[in-house]
Amino acid sequence: MTALLHLTALSLTLNFRNRTAIVYGYLFPLVFLVAFWAIYRNDTVPLALHVGQLLTVTALGGACFGLPTTIVSERERGVWRRYALTPAPRWIFIAAILAARYVLLLTAALLQLALALAFGMPLPLHLFGLWVGFSFVAFAFMGLGMAIAMLVDNVPSVQALGQCIFLPMLIIGGVAVRLSSLPDWAQHLSAFFPGRYAVEALQACATGPGLSRVGFDLAALALTALAGGIAATGMFRWDKSFAPNKAWLLVALGLWLAVGAVAEVQGRAIVTASEDTRDVGTSKDYVAPKAVAAPETSWRDVTEADFDKIAWDRLPPDGGIVSPVARADETPDPSLTDQLDKVQSALPGWVPGNIPDPVQRARNLLAIAAVPDILQMEQVERFVPRLVFARLQAVIPPRDLPKILYWIAMHPDAGDDSAIRQLQPLGLPDLRGPAKPARGRIMLYAFKLLGRLTGHIPPL
Amino acid sequence: MTLRVTGLKRRHGAVQAVDDVSFQVGAGEIFGLLGPNGAGKTTTVDCILGLTRPDAGSIAVCGVDALRQPRAARANIGAVLQATGLPDKITPREALSLFSHLSFPSPGPRFAGPEDKLQRESNLLLLERFGLTEKTDSYYDTLSGGQKQRLALALAFVGEPALLVLDEPTAGLDPQMRRDLHDHIRAMKQSGHAVLLTTHDMEEAQSLCDRIAVIARGRIVATGTPGELIAGSGNSLEDVILRLTR
Repeated sequence: MTALLHLTALSLTLNFRNRTAIVYGYLFPLVFLVAFWAIYRNDTVPLALHVGQLLTVTALGGACFGLPTTIVSERERGVWRRYALTPAPRWIFIAAILAARYVLLLTAALLQLALALAFGMPLPLHLFGLWVGFSFVAFAFMGLGMAIAMLVDNVPSVQALGQCIFLPMLIIGGVAVRLSSLPDWAQHLSAFFPGRYAVEALQACATGPGLSRVGFDLAALALTALAGGIAATGMFRWDKSFAPNKAWLLVALGLWLAVGAVAEVQGRAIVTASEDTRDVGTSKDYVAPKAVAAPETSWRDVTEADFDKIAWDRLPPDGGIVSPVARADETPDPSLTDQLDKVQSALPGWVPGNIPDPVQRARNLLAIAAVPDILQMEQVERFVPRLVFARLQAVIPPRDLPKILYWIAMHPDAGDDSAIRQLQPLGLPDLRGPAKPARGRIMLYAFKLLGRLTGHIPPL
Repeated sequence: MTLRVTGLKRRHGAVQAVDDVSFQVGAGEIFGLLGPNGAGKTTTVDCILGLTRPDAGSIAVCGVDALRQPRAARANIGAVLQATGLPDKITPREALSLFSHLSFPSPGPRFAGPEDKLQRESNLLLLERFGLTEKTDSYYDTLSGGQKQRLALALAFVGEPALLVLDEPTAGLDPQMRRDLHDHIRAMKQSGHAVLLTTHDMEEAQSLCDRIAVIARGRIVATGTPGELIAGSGNSLEDVILRLTR
């Protein structure tokens, strides 16, 4: 075991002495991050919706280029032939190079996440899941990298073959370009590339429900790693003068094709996700044209007549992307139960939801519904408003609640918005970016819940 | 016998690279394998080191069947091959430390144990013995050709193997470096190591080897001491080799 640890540590040391390796291993992922940030700088939430893509690119580059380049260049110079003369078993060399590469990928990913957080990205929701998911991704791509390393004879060939895998995966494999933006034929094709499973698994851990919903993606990545490992082991060679047994490649290809075929059979190939960056407007957009201005003195001055000024039909539909609310007869997916239960159980003790000022208290509670909507937390965002509504009714007197909701809806820019950065005790991510989009969603949810209290919208 | 090769055969495609090669090397003996390019020397060495599996024949190193137990056999072999190298940014100290960890058969306390003080001192002695003390912490890519070759020899000595396999160890070295290396090889013999040496250089073979096998087209065509080979069929070892391998 000490031989393995020694070789792993030495491999890392040698990597850090190689400027080119540092540039490719650490600087390039950061360049990608900055590029994503520049491209999507108008997102309401910086980078959060692209964590899966960013980390996948990092793992892909390090595992499909860095790993085979290191192995092949050492093999070309006879380093592996020299290792072969020792009595140490082959697995030690393979395990050491994989362990060292895994550490390099993980540290590159952590560096990338740190910079993303500095840019204002919220902390990923499921950190442990993200680590597990990233490990699956890293080993899947390292399997590919090992197969490449055993297949080709020289470094230029690594670059050529690596590009053949890397570029299609970026462009039509769901990595650099979102699956939902791709035509159907490309989405079908992407089912046969592991990149999309990597992005889906990582993104689910960053802003979605975590690992519980990505079992298929993890299985696909594990199979990819297994297939690469089988091919690499079968084609293993200490010296390029020994020809690899390419029949093993067929075994790997068979497994990779099987993953895509299963995805097709299960109807997973086509996705219709979209991200939410739209402007929801101001309160004036949701009141009748001839309505008088909202009372400016106090929420206590609000009357039922004011409610009639609201143009309820202009509010976004509950089943849409903006400010969704689950129907009364809908039940959450069992995989969401834990997360929703956590929100519900933590709500009574959540400090911003118990402050003395009832308006700010309500505004804070509405932020709990607003943030998951902005972060496009898949199913979660539709069920959280129900919990918020119940909590509002529990902590604000029934006589006051409609007035307060109306007041908040008509004054979206008033009050404090710090609650959007205090959601982690509820098991939800904080919103690190600009507060304005969150204020817009708070306004919409205030309107929608008010409509339910006043009977203008069907009850929950 | 430290090394016993019997009836070794190996075919590369249509070419019979090694054809029924047999020889033995004893402790304290330098055995030379001479022949032109493509004669089968490197394939024979690769078979002994476990880099290539022979089609037929047997190889025993210190009594261990190298075909059935290649790792156990390699634990008794130190090797310097032409086509081997080290990572550019490794230092001699790190290389010796690494190969110390890799050079003991598993499972066993030496293989699994930490690098102890004794091992570190032994490695420093090896660096001193091969004139690399000043380069202990220099990167491999800054060493001269002679220093790299001496480091390769030092690495071959890690674990004190009974058999040293040297494949053209002086190729590309200047005369002074060659002389130094010859002294090191003689010292190996003096310390009781069995040495299998392949070389093109007749002068080197004549001055270093106790016995020589001449190999041509995959077969051993003559075996004997340099004196026996010269006395039997020529004026010089070069004449003998040229005649036998024509």
